[in-house]
Amino acid sequence: MTQAATERRVGWGLVAPALIWTVAFFVVPFAAMLALSFARMEGRAVVAAFDLGNYVRFFTEWPLFKALLNSLEITAVVTVVSVALAYPLAAIIAFRVPVRWQRLALLLAVLPFWTSYVVRSYSWLLVLGQNGVLNKTLLGVGLIAEPLEIAATRTATVIGFVHFFVMLLTLTIYANLVQLSPNYARAARDLGAGPVQVFRFVILPLTLPGVVTGAFVTFVLCMGDYITPQILGGNNELTLPQLIMLQLGRSGNFPLASALSVILMAVITLAYVLSARWLRLDRV
Amino acid sequence: MKRLVWVYLCAAYAFIFLPVIVLVVFSFQDGRLPVPPFQGVSLQWYAKVLGDRDLMAALFNSALMAAVSSAVALTLGFLAAHGLARSVLPGSVWLRGLLIAPMTVSYLIIALGLLTVFNQTGVRLSLWTAGVGHVVINLPLCFAICYAAMGDHQKAAERAARDLGASEVQVLWLVSAPMLAPALLAAFFLSVTFSWDEFIIAFLLTRFEVTLPVEIWSMLRSGLSPATNAVGSLVFLVSVVAVVLAEVFVFRRRA
Amino acid sequence: MAFEKKRTNPDMEMMMAFRLLGCSVLAVMAASPVLAQELNALVWCDHADAALVAPFEEKFGVKVNLKEYEGTAAGMAILDQSQPGDWDVLVIDAVDVGRAVDAGKLAPMPADQLPTADFFPELVMAENNTRDGVTYAVTEKFGYNTIAYDKTKVDPADMADMATLTSGKYDGRIAIYDYYLPVLGLLAMGQGIATADITADNLAALREPLFALKKASKQVADVVAAQTALATGEVDIMVGGGEWVTAVLAADNPNLDWTIPKQGGLRWAQSIGIVAGTTQPDLALEFVKYIVSPEGQAKLATSACYWGMPANAKTGDVLTPEQKTVLRWDEQSEFLTRAQLYPIPDAALDTAMQDLWTEMLQQ
Repeated sequence: MTQAATERRVGWGLVAPALIWTVAFFVVPFAAMLALSFARMEGRAVVAAFDLGNYVRFFTEWPLFKALLNSLEITAVVTVVSVALAYPLAAIIAFRVPVRWQRLALLLAVLPFWTSYVVRSYSWLLVLGQNGVLNKTLLGVGLIAEPLEIAATRTATVIGFVHFFVMLLTLTIYANLVQLSPNYARAARDLGAGPVQVFRFVILPLTLPGVVTGAFVTFVLCMGDYITPQILGGNNELTLPQLIMLQLGRSGNFPLASALSVILMAVITLAYVLSARWLRLDRV
Repeated sequence: MKRLVWVYLCAAYAFIFLPVIVLVVFSFQDGRLPVPPFQGVSLQWYAKVLGDRDLMAALFNSALMAAVSSAVALTLGFLAAHGLARSVLPGSVWLRGLLIAPMTVSYLIIALGLLTVFNQTGVRLSLWTAGVGHVVINLPLCFAICYAAMGDHQKAAERAARDLGASEVQVLWLVSAPMLAPALLAAFFLSVTFSWDEFIIAFLLTRFEVTLPVEIWSMLRSGLSPATNAVGSLVFLVSVVAVVLAEVFVFRRRA
Repeated sequence: MAFEKKRTNPDMEMMMAFRLLGCSVLAVMAASPVLAQELNALVWCDHADAALVAPFEEKFGVKVNLKEYEGTAAGMAILDQSQPGDWDVLVIDAVDVGRAVDAGKLAPMPADQLPTADFFPELVMAENNTRDGVTYAVTEKFGYNTIAYDKTKVDPADMADMATLTSGKYDGRIAIYDYYLPVLGLLAMGQGIATADITADNLAALREPLFALKKASKQVADVVAAQTALATGEVDIMVGGGEWVTAVLAADNPNLDWTIPKQGGLRWAQSIGIVAGTTQPDLALEFVKYIVSPEGQAKLATSACYWGMPANAKTGDVLTPEQKTVLRWDEQSEFLTRAQLYPIPDAALDTAMQDLWTEMLQQ
């Protein structure tokens, strides 16, 4: 056998395990789910079929479609706010904090990652409640006269999400900023640019791919999250993951749950296609 | 400007730590509900948590699953990255894309897909089935990190070793792995972090032996109590210690 | 030099490595300790109380594995996804026992070994628990879905009439229990329709009251979220609440109370049965007998997740006076006359009700 052929065989041998795993436990399940989404419920039993009933239901029944809109609206707000809050924080840590303290500063910024996600969401519920820490503090200081009604609303869900994603994005944007060669900024300053211009025309464009990647990850995780809206939203509206879990739990309607999942997947794929120009997922 | 910077920094940290501080403070609540007013310090909830057999079992399960699934994901990802980096395979762009694809899919969808398949093939749910799901979500990450870390420097060393007669396994074990150690560690660490706190896959794909997040969720369904705060605080404490240890013994060495 | 010696075939090496890995995996799996005899129970959250199962585990030297679920459809889905022998005991809504029997999920039980003679007469519920004279389940606990409230924040007189909920006086102070069956049942009674008479046609009559109630409420909450909301003062009233919400919090928050309004309330009841195909029917029966014995009933009635009345009236001898006060033991005969059972919809009506509920959630 030629050297090149042996190389290829070895190469395949090395890639094969990961490939087999991915196909067996990711591609096949997704195909199975896709197939199930075309099935029907007759009474309480699943009947194998091939009809678009579930998809038709999604597009024609407002309560179902609204779940997607809710998810998109919440995710959009969360992504924008999180990036807006995380970028300055990452920039401050990268550029203003002395180098020897940077790792500590970064670590502090992401430390709450290691409390359980479920418990953390519950903590937010208690913080934002009528008699929670936030209201008690604001009332005590005199900033407000009546308790703020935040818990069990979309605002609470957004706050819970933003808390998580600010930590995540600070990490990724910092990693990005730190890789920038300082020469670009220096050259721009030498040419007479002020700090705002340096940021707008040099740093921002250079970090845009990293920001877009972070924003995309935020989009995916936020669209697909069940816990935060479930704990903080008070069931005052349903997001798509909540709707899916509702089909699994209360109704046992696997076909509809599968169809909704396929739709969620399609939306995310659309987002991927739209942002592919900037995305470097293999260099997250 | 400088003052604005520090104000922002402090405000940001305050926001980030707010739920954690409230969590820890009310885990010492001397009363039944972890809400204001704070009624005094009590350790009863920590005692309750540490004595809770199911909770401790779930903690062990989480640690075990995180370690094992991350190890498997790392092995598969490292081998795949190595294979793709050293050999020119037809369709390698597609292969890379396929291996990374699960990163863009919500965990709920991965869990649902696996649940469908396991139902139809009659596989019973257990920690193993959830572990399979965790490998699926961590494999792309490990692969991406390893692939990004592979450079010419290390490829040259591998080539040299091969020329000297080393078998492929020897090259992997004695040359590639040590040279890529930082990336491997980072990948393992990140995988453990994601697996440790992962909820939805563990929730849908386990039966009795559950992981910590699922057990906490069950605890929460049974009633509000500072015991949940205590669990959260303990998990936090353990993780912080682990991170500090990692920082001191692993990362600092390369500083 | 070590590398010069043998140039082994890389494929062989790879195969060896994989075989080794495979062997160790199998070894680990085989070495998983074979524990004492185990009983697998699919239950509601009130059974997940160590105080409840520990005496049984000690007496029989077994381990009881508990998996909690909420909502009969979820439980049925879990059973559908399981193999025979996976489960031994099932706790289910008393009104849904028939559904489980139709689906072949429950095994017959010897009625003579169950103390149903000691039960409150209305709670024997033979029409639900038996089929053609064969007993498939036995009632273990019951309570009410009605109106729970904080009596320091709300005028108790208002709570005697369901109409005050949507009168505007309590807007934003209400939580709705996130279970469509009892809440729709309550609304039906508010409209003068008996729960047994709900059909697809008069379901439409419930739309307006349901949406009006949603509008007046702060959140739609499951068991623990509801308890949290009432306990933390997030809401003052809970529709669909009852002793199961307030009793477990009674020690810390004695302001919580509940009542059955003049339009009536709903009675919930849960039954326990043996799963068909169980590999240990005798142990499962022993567990059921333990649960319906006065000792087990007392623990179940006051368990951690939520309290409720025990079906076995003899439990009155085991409960403390304080516990009986919280459970309103002496008023039960009056309550039982004014409460109706959950609606038992067929598949089509069930879907219609769930769709209505989803629509309400999205308002």
